[in-house]
Amino acid sequence: MKRSRKTLQPGRQRKLLSLLSLPVFAFLVVPTLIVVPVALNNSRYITFPPGGVSLAAVQGFFADQAWTSALSASMQAAGIAVVLGTVFGASAALGLHGRKFPGQQAVVGLVLAPMIVPTVVLALAFYQFFISVGLVGSIIPIGLAHAVIATPYVYLTTRASLAGLNPALVRSAQSLGAGMLSVFRHVHLPVILPGLISGALFAFSVSIDETVMALFMQSPGATTLPVKMFTDIQFNLTPKIAVSSALLVTVATIGLLIQVVYVLKRRSTARMMPLAV
Amino acid sequence: MTTSVIAPATHQPSTTAARKGAIDLRQVRKTYGDVVAVDQLDLSIQPGEFVTLLGPSGSGKTTTMMMVAGFEEHTSGSVMIDGVPVDSLPPRERNLGVVFQNYALFPHMSARENVEFALRMRKVPKAESRRRADDALDRVGLSGLGGRKPRQLSGGQQQRVALARALVFNPAALLLDEPMAALDKRLREHMQEEIKTLQKSLGISVLFVTHDQDEAMAMSDRIVVMKDGRIVQSGPPEEVYNHPVTDWVASFLGDTNLIPATVISRDGEEAVVDLAGLGTGRVRDRGAQGERYAVSIRPEHLKFRAGPDGENGGAGELTSSTNLGATIRHRITVGGHSLQLRELSSDAGASGHAVGSAVHVGWDADKAQLLVLEG
Ligand SMILES: Nc1ncnc2c1ncn2[C@@H]1O[C@H](COP(=O)(O)OP(=O)(O)OP(=O)(O)O)[C@@H](O)[C@H]1O
Ligand SMILES: [Mg+2]
Repeated sequence: MKRSRKTLQPGRQRKLLSLLSLPVFAFLVVPTLIVVPVALNNSRYITFPPGGVSLAAVQGFFADQAWTSALSASMQAAGIAVVLGTVFGASAALGLHGRKFPGQQAVVGLVLAPMIVPTVVLALAFYQFFISVGLVGSIIPIGLAHAVIATPYVYLTTRASLAGLNPALVRSAQSLGAGMLSVFRHVHLPVILPGLISGALFAFSVSIDETVMALFMQSPGATTLPVKMFTDIQFNLTPKIAVSSALLVTVATIGLLIQVVYVLKRRSTARMMPLAV
Repeated sequence: MTTSVIAPATHQPSTTAARKGAIDLRQVRKTYGDVVAVDQLDLSIQPGEFVTLLGPSGSGKTTTMMMVAGFEEHTSGSVMIDGVPVDSLPPRERNLGVVFQNYALFPHMSARENVEFALRMRKVPKAESRRRADDALDRVGLSGLGGRKPRQLSGGQQQRVALARALVFNPAALLLDEPMAALDKRLREHMQEEIKTLQKSLGISVLFVTHDQDEAMAMSDRIVVMKDGRIVQSGPPEEVYNHPVTDWVASFLGDTNLIPATVISRDGEEAVVDLAGLGTGRVRDRGAQGERYAVSIRPEHLKFRAGPDGENGGAGELTSSTNLGATIRHRITVGGHSLQLRELSSDAGASGHAVGSAVHVGWDADKAQLLVLEG
């Protein structure tokens, strides 16, 4: 085989690629990770570099009722967003799968719209809508709004996993006597489960992270973690803000790890099975 | 298990009252927009009969089967199972075992769970369904492999699971759409025999789809030849093969010699024809009407003759001989026609004609078939 002088061997190419990627990776990740040492600082203020290590700020965070109720509000909103967003997104993906009808693209566009419309526009719209129907002063409107913006993520991940579905499986289940629910349970569910899980994790992180809509619709008892951080940064700069940031990073990392472990496990079980002759 | 007799391919109702699995299609038509996939189709399958839909790609075989299974709705006409119209029944209530081309086994379930599925849907108690699933796996020669996932099974084994799964709930009939297309030749022939044996021992009706004429010949009680959404000919394999109604059917089912013919007289059974350059002769006739006619003689029905005796035949020149292993293919120019003659290699020594030599060939009157030239 002839090799030109300019191309590198595959092994070297890979090394060079990782060398180049490393700074980019660091640029993306390190600023986020800075919150962790700040949260574990022993100072009463936010300082960097940290003076010494202590869990004081973490303890302070969990002792402060304002912060814990913000955490709980975030979890409730995320809970609503995950459950409803997953149901909506998965239903849309299943309903649109393998069909062709006039106006289908418009329906897909509608499902994906919350991803494209600027959040502040959505926030204003939701704010006015929930006031007009009298649904204010609780975490529910925030959760519902988050469910709407989470839906396209679940739709996309579910749709991607449905692409691998053998349509004959649906027919064979039907010919064997399966009704609609059994077909869903035994044919669709096993196929879309990975998509559903990653969609649900997306929904969770979208909701946990969302600030603008939560700010518009906040009320006493319905102040989410990012909103609380946002207001405290302006008036009350304490390491608790860093603690809650670290908490969010941790939650996001755990979510990512679940996904990675799940994917690796599926791959290895698929590979472990020997093919019989 | 009883060894039952295959119902004859007649259209009289079956005498065994208990036997089920009659399928009737009456004037069934299916269109997709402007495309007519199936047109005015009449087809009756007797209980216990093995009927094959044979036709080229796009002739409407799958569409016909899917209308029987209930996955496609017909545009007009009626489908009946055991005399009951099923036009408004969804697939799951038609009680038909379907084997799909790539088996469509549930990948996350073991072979046994796949087989048990239909019983589970019918709320059969766990212990009984397990026993019946194991029985079914036994019957297809897979005992002991029930715990394997489909991807741990070979193609032939997967097909057996699919068969067991389609049979375990005692369906009224079995529908198979090109079930052997994914298997290699040898395994395919083996499975053909196995399926045929299984079908006979169960006495179940089968609607089988293939575009492989050898497969159709080997397995069927009756072959239904389809073209462009219509039935061109239907009958027992030997009849369709030896007595095709058109040149298209003759060529689709194998090699043949087509000699243009002019009809002198005919009575529906036999015809006297003038074969340009080969004189006049008597041939079989099925009464098919057309503009132009030809006579079809299969290469294996054309024989060398010792001399110019007998009425169907003539003298010519042997132009080539090709040894194909079991058979030898000769080409003979006779009366301006190039005819193919096929004989067993083991018979070839006796005749021993050299290429270029003068030969006499002929055929039996009942092996020559008058047919309509299409197009
Ligand atoms: N969903 C569909 N939409 C439009 N046309 C279709 C559809 N399904 C089948 N057809 C058309 O109907 C005709 C018959 O198709 P069918 O699949 O029944 O053929 P087939 O005999 O099974 O062919 P093959 O041997 O290739 O499987 C074809 O012309 C095909 O293009
Ligand atoms: Mg087909």
